[in-house]
Amino acid sequence: MKIAIKKGLLDMLPLNLAVLPWGILCGSLAIQNGFSALEAQLMSLLVFAGSAQLVAIELMAKDVSFVTLVITTFIISARHLLYGLSIRKKMIDKPLKWRGPIAFFLTDELFAFSHHHRAYQGKLRLVYALVAGASFYLAWNLWTFFGIVAGQYLPDLTNLGLDFAIAAIFIALVIPGITNTSTLVACIVSGLSMLYFKTVEFEFGLVAAALLGMTTGYLLQTKEDKS
Amino acid sequence: MITTIIALACVTFATRYLFLAKRLPFTIGPKFQRFLSFSAPCVLTAIWVPIVFIQNGELTTSITHPYIIAAIVAILLALRFKNLYITTFGSLAVFFVFF
Repeated sequence: MKIAIKKGLLDMLPLNLAVLPWGILCGSLAIQNGFSALEAQLMSLLVFAGSAQLVAIELMAKDVSFVTLVITTFIISARHLLYGLSIRKKMIDKPLKWRGPIAFFLTDELFAFSHHHRAYQGKLRLVYALVAGASFYLAWNLWTFFGIVAGQYLPDLTNLGLDFAIAAIFIALVIPGITNTSTLVACIVSGLSMLYFKTVEFEFGLVAAALLGMTTGYLLQTKEDKS
Repeated sequence: MITTIIALACVTFATRYLFLAKRLPFTIGPKFQRFLSFSAPCVLTAIWVPIVFIQNGELTTSITHPYIIAAIVAILLALRFKNLYITTFGSLAVFFVFF
């Protein structure tokens, strides 16, 4: 049990540190846009979504309609549907006391650690995921809190290159898992299509790029198995 | 304002919980599971690739760009060591030398 807790904390630690600039930004941007300190913190405590949170703060400040706000938040969060679907088979037989919290903590960051074929199997792996997810939640809220109380005194930290740290962590998690051609080609298709979707500013780009890569990987692997 | 925040929280939680709900009665067959097994590598790649290749909305493919040099180092370190910390801190060190 101790090992599962320690591993959960250590695995998530680099990401907990790397998102500091964006956590601070979520806090300070909310305050700048007229949120009270409580409301700003509640965004991270309840909505708990990096990019969706930043966009929602700016939209709320612009007084857009409620429907626009909800639809925009849904579009940015839609990728989580894919995460839930991907771990459904592993999680669906677990009681609500595990499924509820894991779903709440199911960010990009936690999903990044969910790929192991035995992920979520057995109590230790559930504890591992829960600790990793919860530590990210605490870190995110702590950075938001810093942004709320000290955002006006801090420089913008988002251009210090810490975004590369996030890229490096994801590279570290993806590359060792590429053990066959179908996964390699699937990743290349996802990466290239994402670059295209970004340049044309297609809002469902991330989900579309992932689905294109997944379809490619599936077709290649099925073909491989037949021959 | 608080009501709006709670509504948004419902949206983000719903997207995460929907397919983990038992009330949604469907099982994932082996073919669909195979398709889904590619989701993590594909999604994560679709997140890191634009961080490396797009800065301030501009696509860069110059091999001398710090993001690209350090990403190549990260890929090599990941292939060689398969260790989260070595890859992250090794490539981050290279990144800040050129940044």
